[in-house]
Order: sequence, then structure tokens, then C-alpha cells
Amino acid sequence: MTTVRAPGIWKRSANLRVGFLYLLPSIILFAVFLFYPMIRTIYLSFFLTDQNGNAAVNVGFENYSYLLTSPAFLNSMKATGLFVLYTVPIGIILSLFFALLANEKLKGIGFFRTMYSSTMGISVAASSVIWLFLFHPSVGVFNRILLVLDFPQIQWLLDPEWALISIAISTIWMNTGFSFLILLGGLQNIDEHLYESSRIDGAGYFYRLRRITIPMLSPTLFFIITISLINAFQTFGQIDILTKGGPSQSTNLIVYSIYREAFINYQFGTASAQAVILFVIILVVTILQFKLVERKVHYQ
Amino acid sequence: MKLMLLFLTVLSLAVLAACTNSDSSTKDEENKGEDTKGEATKTEDGKVSIEFWHAMSGTGQTSLDEIVANFNESQDKYEVKAEFQGTYEESLTKLRSVGGTKDAPAITQVFEIGTKYMIDSGYIEPIQKFIDKNNFNADELEQNILNYYKVDDELYSMPFNSSTPVMIYNKDAFKEAGLDPEKAPETFAEVINSAEKLTKGEMYGFSMLTYGWFFEQLLATQGGDYVNENNGRTGDATEAAFNSDEGRLVFRTLDTMNKAKTFGNFGTNWDDIRAAFASEKVAMYLDSSAGVAGAIDTAPFEVGVAYIPHADEVKRNGVVIGGASLWMSKGIAEEEQEAAWEFMKYLTTPEVQAKWHLDTGYFAINPKAYDEENVKEKWAEFPQYKVTVDQLQDTVPGYATQGALISVFPESRQQIVTALEDMYQGKDPAEALEQAAEGTNRAIEVANKTKK
Repeated sequence: MTTVRAPGIWKRSANLRVGFLYLLPSIILFAVFLFYPMIRTIYLSFFLTDQNGNAAVNVGFENYSYLLTSPAFLNSMKATGLFVLYTVPIGIILSLFFALLANEKLKGIGFFRTMYSSTMGISVAASSVIWLFLFHPSVGVFNRILLVLDFPQIQWLLDPEWALISIAISTIWMNTGFSFLILLGGLQNIDEHLYESSRIDGAGYFYRLRRITIPMLSPTLFFIITISLINAFQTFGQIDILTKGGPSQSTNLIVYSIYREAFINYQFGTASAQAVILFVIILVVTILQFKLVERKVHYQ
Repeated sequence: MKLMLLFLTVLSLAVLAACTNSDSSTKDEENKGEDTKGEATKTEDGKVSIEFWHAMSGTGQTSLDEIVANFNESQDKYEVKAEFQGTYEESLTKLRSVGGTKDAPAITQVFEIGTKYMIDSGYIEPIQKFIDKNNFNADELEQNILNYYKVDDELYSMPFNSSTPVMIYNKDAFKEAGLDPEKAPETFAEVINSAEKLTKGEMYGFSMLTYGWFFEQLLATQGGDYVNENNGRTGDATEAAFNSDEGRLVFRTLDTMNKAKTFGNFGTNWDDIRAAFASEKVAMYLDSSAGVAGAIDTAPFEVGVAYIPHADEVKRNGVVIGGASLWMSKGIAEEEQEAAWEFMKYLTTPEVQAKWHLDTGYFAINPKAYDEENVKEKWAEFPQYKVTVDQLQDTVPGYATQGALISVFPESRQQIVTALEDMYQGKDPAEALEQAAEGTNRAIEVANKTKK
């Protein structure tokens, strides 16, 4: 007896295959530029490499165990953590403050909006060089000002206590432009009627800020927090130019330490292991953010 | 969902396979290139054209470009194209991707601490081969420079830009402090004493760039080796030797001044310490001989140049040269190698070396250059230049002053920098040095483990 056979797998998957065809370009691009390098990095992290960067000796998890006990790498992790703490909250609060100011409808506010976002137009390298001169121990502007005000001189980039803070200051300056612009865009999107109604109800400025502006801005804030966090973890340019990881390794953030290990010491194995650890840290932080913070985000 | 996973796996495998395939095929090509050596690149009018990768910027680059142009005009068989490839580290990284193939530049300038790496790399043809073949008289070159680049009595690369450390000091400050401006302190103890007298208000007595090279020099002048196996000269070094009495003495000396607040810490940047000297924030500091010209030019006071200080108990051994040398590639056409050799020979002539010395402050690798009229004139005007040459020629040859041979030098230097910085922040000098030795040991161990 013949029954109606269920359509074959080939037929059933027709939609899926078409779907894949559409996805193919992006899958290929991702595979070549993301998946392959990532798999290769993970692979290399289990090896010691020879002078030409080829995998030479399989050492299993030794690279990881070495890193996790190495005071230098633990110091890098600590410095990275501190750096994120210094830059992200202050950077976002500062740019939110500027965005709120620039969101007021005043005459000539366009000028200030341009000014506040202008740091976005300067490359990290160029702004680092500017900061290098500002921080200069003998002829820098900051020390000159301190001298005039009769304060003790600060070795901005040479004192391990100050170097990370100095880098954080310059990084906050560099990043506010971008955060400012995104936040201002978010503010401009908030429906004017909400403010009108609340004003009629007699709500004050701070009440409106807390009850309308922040909740309505929360998707944008969430976006900017995520991006700033990831950026802070990946900071490289300003460190390379301002301190090269010194003094006493105090600014040797993980990304810079990866660079040193890979391209100065040619130890691609340990460098890859560091990269994998950094990847895991960022992954965990981002997942946590989505789990914990996103709940508070108010989507319209 | 399962299907999708399957698809992704297949795809990534395909990509992986494609990549590994391409790897092996390029390797085949490399081998072929070595066997056949390929055809020489020629210009339209039949000249053999070669590339010369260098890392000279600023005045060095200007001078080098002129020298290359002069060479190209001086004969009609070869044409050299000089290409700036960034810092020493950057150009070495680029070389790693083409080394040993026919795409490699005929000549590459590599810094002195890359010597061991280059010898081990298999990318290069030892210069000795051409010296022997052409009966070139290498003995007329500066012996103390040759000593560094000679390994097992074989010259692997042609020395080119060489410098040594010197102590530069502010003569006016010496007068003010009641010291003899013509007689700089010679030993560690004298430096400590003078530094104390010179420290006044804004001015520190002594400073040294936080850079491994200077530590190596202060170690070598006491006859101390940097690594075992006679500084890696009689075999592959297996561990650091700088954590010796000599090494500790260097650290202690710096620590003494730092604690007495007579030592100014101006970081790891050459420009910063030079600016500090020119703006009278430090009275004496160690610099490269290539920095003498700049110091004399920018300082608004009289500048003195002296030998680097040595230990009180030990006779001065002298200095290790720094700088870079020129390496000839293997795997390129024979005609190209000949062109490279002709150019290297041209570089060693006294006229070219005199120009190079005067333009940049680097040593002349051919001492005959110092007899050229223009050099004599300049020396008469600035006797400070001569000090640097005297110091080099007074150096006692030995394993210590020959300089260490290890492939992980950049990493080891970083360890020393960290140790110095930690010490300036109050860490015990012996402990800081020991930590640097441990880091160096691990780097050497990994390098030896992975060596083919």
C-alpha cells in the first residue's frame, strides 16, 4: 500500500536553504575575519611559538596557568579593572551632563553642541600627542599651572600612582564626544508632550529628569554603557603613545600587554592566551549587563 | 537547528582547510625560490635594482638618502632604493613576513640586539662569505665595533650606525657648585658625591633614561656579563647573569642617589630626559653618543661630554656599542646580492663614513674617516665629539664589552625597565633585579624550547 510519504528532508528544508543563501555573504565574511582568527587564537593559546610565530611546542593549559599566577598579568587585570572604573562612570555622567546642557533650547546652542562633540573628530593618536605635551614633566602646561598656583609638581605619566589616572583623564576627554552625541540624539527623541503634561502637573526640573528623561533615555544609556565598557577594556592607542605600559607596569592594560607579548616578544602563544582571557572577561561583563541592567531599561 | 550547526561546522572546516592549504603552498614557493634564486630585478636601462630597508628617520634619513643617491650616481650597474620601514621593531616585524623569500629586501638594517635572532632565522647570508670571496680587508674597520657583530669569528652583518653611551653634563652648573667643569666624575662614588653637590632647587644632580641599554653598559664597564655562556658568545645562553654583584652595584648606586633625592627620574622617553637637561632640571645624565650634537645645539649653557662612570674597585672596561647593522638576504638573486655587497663596500669608505659621522653623530665604522679634513675641523670646534670616539677606542675587548647575544633581548630589556621603575618607587634593589633575572630566564627558556 502506498501512503502519502512525508516530504523528504530536501523538500522540507527548502526554506532553510534559501535562508542560508541570503546569509551566506555575511557568514563567509564573519568566518574569514572573525571565526577563523578566533579559532586560530584559541588554538595558538595552547602552544609556545617559535621565532617565526609558528606553533612549536604544545603545552596544553600551561600558558593559562602561567598567566593566572604571573604577578605581571594579574597586575594587568587589576589595572584594566581600575581603568574601566575610572573612565566609564565618570565619562558617561560627564557626557550626560553636557548632553542635558546642550539639549536646552538656547540661542547659539548649535555652537556648544559642536564644541562638546568635537573630540570625536580627533584621532586617538593626535589627541594623545596633545596630552603628551600637557603632561610633560618639564615643560607641560599642567605642571606650569600647578607651579603658578604654588602646588607641588605632579609627575603625571612617570609616577605609577598618577599614570593610570592621567591616562583615564585623557581617555574620558577623548570619549565624551561620542557619548555626548549619542546621548543628545536620545534626548532629542523624547516626546515633548511628556514634559508639557508634567509641567502642567507642576513637576520640577529634577523630578522630570528622574521620572521622564532618564527612563526615556534608558535604551540609549544602556547602549552607551555597553559600548563604553567594551571600549575601555580595549584601550590601546593612548597607552602606546603616552606611557608604553609603564611606569612599573601601572598602565599595562591587557590589550597593551597582548601587543607587547605578540609583537615585541614574539610569544604568540601567551599573547593568544591573554586574548582569550580578555575575550572571556568582556563576554561575561556583557552578559551580566544584559541580564542585570537591561531589566531596568524602559523600551517604548 | 541541527542542520544549521552542521552547515556552520562544514563551512568553518572548509575555511580552515583553505587557509592551511594556502599556508603550505606558499611554503613550497619559498623553497622553490631558494633553489632557483629567481631573476634579478632590473630597471629599464638594465641596472640591477635592490631594496634597502632602514629605520632611520630625521637627520639620519636625510643623510642616508643622500648617500644612496651618491652611490647610484657613482656607478651605472646597480641602483639602490632606500625605503624607510618605521622603527627597528616595526621593520623587523615586516621582515619576518618576507624573510627568506625572493620578495625580501636585499639589505635590511636591524638593531644590534636583533643580531642573534637574525643569525638563527635562516633569512640571511653571512657577510663573511663576501669578505672572503672578494678579499675585502675588514681589518681596517673599527675593531671594537666589529667585535660586537662577529660571532665565532665570523662577521654576519656589516656594521653601519653605531653609538655608545656617554655622560653629558652641564659645565655651568659644575662651576656654580664649585666643581671642576673640565673634570667630570669618573666613578660611581664620585658621581654620587657630585650629584649631591649639584642638586639645587629645581635641578637634580644625575639622571639616566629608564632603558635597559644603560644598565647593560654600566654592567659591562665593570666586566660583568649579561647572560651566561660568556654572554652567549661561546654557546646558547641559558640564563641571565646580570643579577651578579656587578649588576647589584649598578642598582644600588642608582638607588642611593634616588633615595638621597639627587636622582631625577624622567621616564623612558629620550626626548623627555633631553628636554630636562636643556631646561636645567638635571646636571648630569647618560645619553647616546648620537645625542651629543643635539645636546650641544639646544642647551643654553656650556655642555661637557665624559666617559660613562665605572665602579670604584674595578678598572674601566669600556662600553658596548649600540645601534644597527646591515644584513644581506638569502634567497634573492645572486646579482642582487652582489649589488648589495657593492653598496655595503661603498658605505665603508672613509668619505661616506665622515659624512655619516658629521651628519648624525654616529661613529665612523672606518676609523680612517676621522682623518678626513671636515671631521678634523668639526672636532677642533667641538672637542666633545672626540670624547665619544676615544671612549670606544679605549674599550678593553672581552666578552663583557663584546655585548650579550640572546634572541629575547627586547623582552629582557623590558624586564630591566620594570625593575628600575619598581626600585625608583621604593622596592629593594636586589629584589627588583632578581625579578628581572627571573623574567629573563623564562624568556630564554621558552626561546630555547621552541628553537628548531
